[in-house]
Amino acid sequence: MPKPDNLQGALEILVLKVLHRGPNHGYAIAVSIQQISDEVLRVEAGSLYPALHRMMEAGLLKSAWRKSDVGRRARFYELTRKGRRKLEADEKKWHTVSAAVAKVLSAGSV
Amino acid sequence: MSWWSRIRNVIRPESHLDEIREELDFHLEMEQMSGFDAREARLRLGNTTRIEEEVREMRIAAWLESVFQDVRYGLRQLRKSPALSLAIVLSLAIGLGANTAIFALVDGALLKPLPVDDPDRLVMLEWSSVGRYAPVGRVGGSPRIVEGGRMQLPTFSEAVYRAFAARQSAFASVIGFSSRTSMALSDGTGVTEVGVQYVSANFFTGLGISPILGRSFLEEEDRRGQEPAVILSHRYWTGRLGGDRDVVGRSIRVNNAPARIVGIAPPGFFGLVIGEWVDAYAPLSARSAFEPALAARPPTGGENADWWVRQAARLKPGVAASAAAVQAAGLFRGLAAETTGTELDARLNLLAEPGRRGFGSVATGDREARALWILMLLVGTLLLIICANVANLLLSRSVVQQRESAVRLALGATRSRLFRQHLIGSAILAVVGGSAGLGLGYALAQALHAMFQTGRDAGNAFDLQPDLRMLAYATVLSVVTALVFGLAPALRAARADLNDRLRAHARAVIGDRMRLPRLLVSTQLALTFTAVVAAGLLSRSLENLNSVGLGFDARNLAYATINPYQAGYAPGQVGPYLDRLKQNLEAVPGVLDVAVLDARPLQGGGRGTWVSTPEGPQIRLEDGRPNPAAEVNLSSGSADLLQTLGVRILAGRALEPSDGPKAAVAVVDQRFAGRYFGGRNPVGEHFAMFGQSMEVIGLAANARFLDLREETTPTVYLPYDPTRFLPGVIHFAIRAAIGAEQLAAEVRRVAASLDPAVPVTEVHTQTVLIDRTLRTERLLAFVAGGFGLVALVLAAIGLGGLLAYAVARRTNEIGVRMALGAARADVIRMILRDSMGMVGFGLLIGMPAAYGIARFLEASLFELEPVDPFSAMSALAVLLAVALTAAWLPARRAAGINPVAALREE
Repeated sequence: MPKPDNLQGALEILVLKVLHRGPNHGYAIAVSIQQISDEVLRVEAGSLYPALHRMMEAGLLKSAWRKSDVGRRARFYELTRKGRRKLEADEKKWHTVSAAVAKVLSAGSV
Repeated sequence: MSWWSRIRNVIRPESHLDEIREELDFHLEMEQMSGFDAREARLRLGNTTRIEEEVREMRIAAWLESVFQDVRYGLRQLRKSPALSLAIVLSLAIGLGANTAIFALVDGALLKPLPVDDPDRLVMLEWSSVGRYAPVGRVGGSPRIVEGGRMQLPTFSEAVYRAFAARQSAFASVIGFSSRTSMALSDGTGVTEVGVQYVSANFFTGLGISPILGRSFLEEEDRRGQEPAVILSHRYWTGRLGGDRDVVGRSIRVNNAPARIVGIAPPGFFGLVIGEWVDAYAPLSARSAFEPALAARPPTGGENADWWVRQAARLKPGVAASAAAVQAAGLFRGLAAETTGTELDARLNLLAEPGRRGFGSVATGDREARALWILMLLVGTLLLIICANVANLLLSRSVVQQRESAVRLALGATRSRLFRQHLIGSAILAVVGGSAGLGLGYALAQALHAMFQTGRDAGNAFDLQPDLRMLAYATVLSVVTALVFGLAPALRAARADLNDRLRAHARAVIGDRMRLPRLLVSTQLALTFTAVVAAGLLSRSLENLNSVGLGFDARNLAYATINPYQAGYAPGQVGPYLDRLKQNLEAVPGVLDVAVLDARPLQGGGRGTWVSTPEGPQIRLEDGRPNPAAEVNLSSGSADLLQTLGVRILAGRALEPSDGPKAAVAVVDQRFAGRYFGGRNPVGEHFAMFGQSMEVIGLAANARFLDLREETTPTVYLPYDPTRFLPGVIHFAIRAAIGAEQLAAEVRRVAASLDPAVPVTEVHTQTVLIDRTLRTERLLAFVAGGFGLVALVLAAIGLGGLLAYAVARRTNEIGVRMALGAARADVIRMILRDSMGMVGFGLLIGMPAAYGIARFLEASLFELEPVDPFSAMSALAVLLAVALTAAWLPARRAAGINPVAALREE
């Protein structure tokens, strides 16, 4: 099973995208990525949490402790304005690159 | 993340770790809720500790990196304006250096504990009695009158000490030692006068001090009848013996008696009295070898009535000083009776006083201590002035940087980041200034210390070596300083109005944005006014002290000091020796008069005694204590003493050589006549002294012998009799028409040719002796004057700089005014009015502050009211003159503005 951590920068854009829908805690982010990708992409806690904190340092995310839907206190992450801009830019870049890669691959053997 | 929580992450990582842990716990719980069992969930989560570590390190590293970025940014800013940076660093170095220097003095003299192991558990043992304790014939150290009229004393007899130390069980250990005594030490390179202390064999081990060379004393070395062992101070070893490692085992002579060096004390160990250095330690038993004249004259009651040994004790863990003293008091009472062969006195008591700060410091009386705290206040004020100045310089720079800040904000930098950057920039300045200040402070501390110890021998010194305490103080002060001067500029940089800043032609109009700098300059002027008032008061007070009428002629008067007892002279041999030396001194060309005396005028103390007449006050109070109001100053000297000093004889005659040393005749001064004879001519009257009747043969004019500040003690002059008092130093008063240096050399030569074993230990002029008693006043006046001057210069720079900046900003406005018909004089008047406004506001704050500081100084002022119109008016005049001078240049520049050019610039 492919892991997004193997793809440089992919985890970051996935997290940004998931949080684009609204603030959420770490576990929910992991589950969302897994569900949306139809169980293809699985995010491990060991990669997710360091990534979340790194993004927070970089000013892409901010966090706050809030009550979760199960009642326990959890750290909720939220996009900053900078994070939103980064998502837009990265999405555009990603589409360009992936389209290009797909083109190369579909060209078959030359 | 906030600034605070970042710092907390570094300082208290565990709370941050808790948060990460809680986050991971939550993750785990959610996994379990969605159907995984606990084990599986944990497996899926992976190594939680590793994740925690990784997250934490990453965040701290990111924070540190951004701090390094800011430090680099700060350094770049400094390089951009080197002149400004240099000015700031220099003024900070002066301010922090001055503060560090005074702290070193205050710490060395008043705060630092003894350089021994665990000083908090060290106590000094003292005893008290009701009235005088009769079995004691002689005490070392002066009695203190404590609560309930009891007399408290710090010394014990050698026998009491030895038996007490051996038998007591209340303390962990007890050590014995004497007061420091000045002795002639001959090490083959010459004879020097050094401070010697007799100590018990366990002195060094008991204090936790190990010699750096050789060893401590052995028990068997503390027995009489053998060559005494000696341990030298590190200071003496490096200073006089060149740090020679082969000195252990070498023979030296102390007071002409042979002794052997067995060890060298560690550096920085000066003994047990703060402010005094002991340069040689010898066992208690060495006293009979080094001071045979003393041992040959035991007090009434014999050797066990001679109480000269001080005791220090180390408390057992968990035992309070008072409890231990109570426990040991019975043993002490018993030993006191046993050794003196008297009845047990139940009223004798033993006390354990705290020993952390040493044993009776004579070097810092209340006056010295107060002076040091005043200095601390003064340098603190100076630092505040400098902070105000630096803050203004930074503010003016931050205005220049406004465009840059605005651009950075627009590009997404946060305000908190800008704030931090500026604060870090300030911190860099403070650290650089503080480091320079540390060096400067050390040098300044040495210089002030030398000034403080003017005319005192090398044995009087505080430990000023730079240590961790000094470093910690300088560091903390630098950081606090950075916050004080950096806060306002940093806040201003962070509090930005983007649009306003990006407008290139933002112009100031009157009063705009200059409120904070104006306030800072006013504060600076207020503090400067205070400093100048303080300097004026202190120098006027010193002037008053210097012009006090002495009653004798202090010019061309010097004193040479010898101690023939140290060379083994018996009291009977001293008289003839003194006569010969006096004759030889009189033969020196240029010497006019020579007299022998036992206490020099204004040397900082004298000899007191009690006399009685039917009309005078009672010698003893009702409770048996000596009556302080019946004490007189006793000056004994050769017949020509009064003539040599220049004290006038008002009636009768002076002492004559034919009176002889034991004649029951005396000359008294006017105060004596007033107290004991109702003010009438006392010639021919009698008074009782030393149990005999003395006849007054002459009346002398009053002279200030004991204290320059006030003289209320009557003086009685007696013929000099070497057998009357305990062996001690003897002085020659010499009035000479030659310079002090030349005289000192001649005196030393004459004495050495008479007997090389008796060195001249001191040659001081009367002026030096007076300076010595005024050392705190001179130090205060000097430092206050210096600081006042620095403050004035800084105020001029601060005010002038601000006005120049204001003129530059208002060029346009001034141009408009001139175009509309304002004359050059109007413009000059406008700028001067502006500066006087700040001065006025400064005075408004400065007046009450100056009043406060004057009240604080009150006790240190001599014949001067704290509200001294002269000092206040001159401070005001000086401040106004400086302010006008500082304002003149910017005013001229403003007046020189060409309206056409100024308007075209727009």
